[in-house]
Amino acid sequence: MSRLPGCLALALLIGVVALGFIGLLSAGGSGAAIDWGYVWSLVRISLIQAGLSTAVSLVLGAALALALARRSRFRGRMLLIAGFNAATVLPAIVTVFAIVALFGRSGWIGEAARAVGLDYGSWVYGLDGVLLAHILLNAPLAARVFLAGLGAVSAEEWRLAAQLGMPPGSVFRFIDWPVLRREAAGVAALMFLACFSSFAIVLALGGGPRVSTLEVAIYEAVRFEADFSRAAVLALVQVGACAAILLPALILFGRRMSEAPPGGVAAMRPDIGSQRLRLLDGAILVLMGFLVLVPMATIAVGGVASLASLADGAVLVAMLTSLAIGVPAGALSVALALGLATLARDLRLRLLRPGLADLTGAAATLILVVSPIALSAGLFVMIRQWVNPFAVGIPLVILVNGLMALPFTYRQVEPPLLLAAERFGRLGDSLGLRGFGRLRLVEWPLLRAPLLVALAMATALSLGDLGVASFFGRGELVTLPVLLHERLGSYRVAEAGSVALLLTLLVAGLFLLAQRVSGGSIARPR
Amino acid sequence: MLVLDDVRVVYPDFEVRYDLTVPTDALCALIGPSGGGKTTLLHTVAGFAPVASGTIRFDGRDLTALAPAERPLSILFQDHNLFPNLTAAQNVGLGIDPRLRLDGAARRRVEDALARVELAGLGQRRPAELSGGQRQRVAIARALVRDKKLMLLDEPFTGLDPGLRADMIALVDALRRERGLTVLMAIHSPEDAASVADLVAFIADGRVDAVGPPSEILAPGRSPKLDRYFRRSG
Repeated sequence: MSRLPGCLALALLIGVVALGFIGLLSAGGSGAAIDWGYVWSLVRISLIQAGLSTAVSLVLGAALALALARRSRFRGRMLLIAGFNAATVLPAIVTVFAIVALFGRSGWIGEAARAVGLDYGSWVYGLDGVLLAHILLNAPLAARVFLAGLGAVSAEEWRLAAQLGMPPGSVFRFIDWPVLRREAAGVAALMFLACFSSFAIVLALGGGPRVSTLEVAIYEAVRFEADFSRAAVLALVQVGACAAILLPALILFGRRMSEAPPGGVAAMRPDIGSQRLRLLDGAILVLMGFLVLVPMATIAVGGVASLASLADGAVLVAMLTSLAIGVPAGALSVALALGLATLARDLRLRLLRPGLADLTGAAATLILVVSPIALSAGLFVMIRQWVNPFAVGIPLVILVNGLMALPFTYRQVEPPLLLAAERFGRLGDSLGLRGFGRLRLVEWPLLRAPLLVALAMATALSLGDLGVASFFGRGELVTLPVLLHERLGSYRVAEAGSVALLLTLLVAGLFLLAQRVSGGSIARPR
Repeated sequence: MLVLDDVRVVYPDFEVRYDLTVPTDALCALIGPSGGGKTTLLHTVAGFAPVASGTIRFDGRDLTALAPAERPLSILFQDHNLFPNLTAAQNVGLGIDPRLRLDGAARRRVEDALARVELAGLGQRRPAELSGGQRQRVAIARALVRDKKLMLLDEPFTGLDPGLRADMIALVDALRRERGLTVLMAIHSPEDAASVADLVAFIADGRVDAVGPPSEILAPGRSPKLDRYFRRSG
């Protein structure tokens, strides 16, 4: 296959990121006019918030995974797992809606508390609310990774444990704990990164200066103060911090996390008979069920209750805007991934430069370091010199969203492409299969499903994006997340319900499609 | 004496039925096609298979309803006989106390067992630092400290080189004579067993199709299935 598309994709990727960096460096200048005390306080609160979110999510996720692994058959287990999985793919702003509609002052619980005369503050705005939202998104994700890891324990190990007569404590110590420890590192790094760069949740629930992240501060500097030099410095700090978090994690735990879905092996566990564990597991399942599933039920009920508000046209326009951004962003991301992956494959197999091939692959992953708002800020500063950035808002949002999904689309597309070459490359060569015929007969059957999965995931990610769309939209580019955030911000929680439900259905539908196509389970990319 | 008396095991997608008698102290080799039921027979004796009817007795004791840990036996699988994050010595030690609380005497027993399988001095290695043959020796050492009279082996030497395989089978044979063990050993290549086995059982289609001394079973004409298995005309 020609190397041209791959080179173009790589040039676009590097060009956009370089443009962003040049913008940031030129606007940031020497950083002389910056209040560094303010920057450090931002970093500090972000680290504390991300640390707490990650720690609690890990512990709850591990407890949930163990409970689900030990209770391998009970009524509603599949439903429960589906609910937890759905919680991990919710757009962040929808999670915010669920928390406000449930725990907020005028939410279900707030109303109920006031009805019985309790003093119920608005605790959801601040660190508590941010933590809760992050835990809702991340604990089920951690549980999912842990459960897959536990499912990958060989059946022989469980039989051996049964034969040796291991009590529950020993089962945990010798089998469960090593799995949890091994899987925790990678998932913790990803969750920490996500919480450290959290945007929508912190913007909506942070309650002003009490909790913030660099991402939110960059957005506010540009949006409300037009202070580009401060935005640029904050963005550079953000990129530096993400690199400091992600690079060691990638080097230390570069191995992929377990993805094998658990089979029927759990029934072999010798510790399922323990009465104490049975009670513990029951308590965990009830607690986590309440914590995760009730907010999700709030979305369904709140959405259905406010269906009438769909009629005002604003929601329909927002949905069309969202799709007009999300679908091209998804397609762009898949095209870039395909280009980079063919280039990497060519470098690896034909030019025998595996080092360069790995570097190309790394380029697709390392975009995680350049957070969306930081990149947006850099591009904004650069483009401002030539055109009004708001005038080209939609293409910019598509571009940034497409780039942000690249690590996940690349991961979908690269393995089957390599497989096609390794499995059928020599056969194809010897038969003289070339060009389109080869593409159709060799690559397409292996690529069709991963491409569709990648497209669905990238589109879903873009549909859920609040940050980039509000950054370039200046309040005029109203996508579904932007509309939802507006309505939440003006305390029109009831009218927000229908938007939240619509957005959830769109995103969940795409993930369901991806899951159906891939025949397995898909973890939320982040 | 190990007796499987009309033992029926029912899975959602298949069903097996076993009748087999192995005298005490004998080594019985299980041969037969893949998927024919060798592993299921061993799992049935070890307590990992859902027995629907029939009884399993060993030296007069009814094992049918016992939990795996209560049965007087040790089992070696083809792979994954060791917990990957524990050292060789710890893996052996689990055979003495599944909580791994070992006193000095217990630790000496572990060392002795490792020495007996020719792994003296390798106790601190983890499974990943041992060869395939060494890993199976550790598992045998654990079976030794467990000191159970019945030993089940599910093709544990299949992945090894022919010479090494012969060594391991010789080790098992020596140990069972030393300690008076009854051994049930599934094997992939029947010729490996000819010299050491007292009995050979041919398992096919979920049944014990033929049992007898190696000379009888390995010779043609005993059963049509057996002849097909060996690709010989009856």
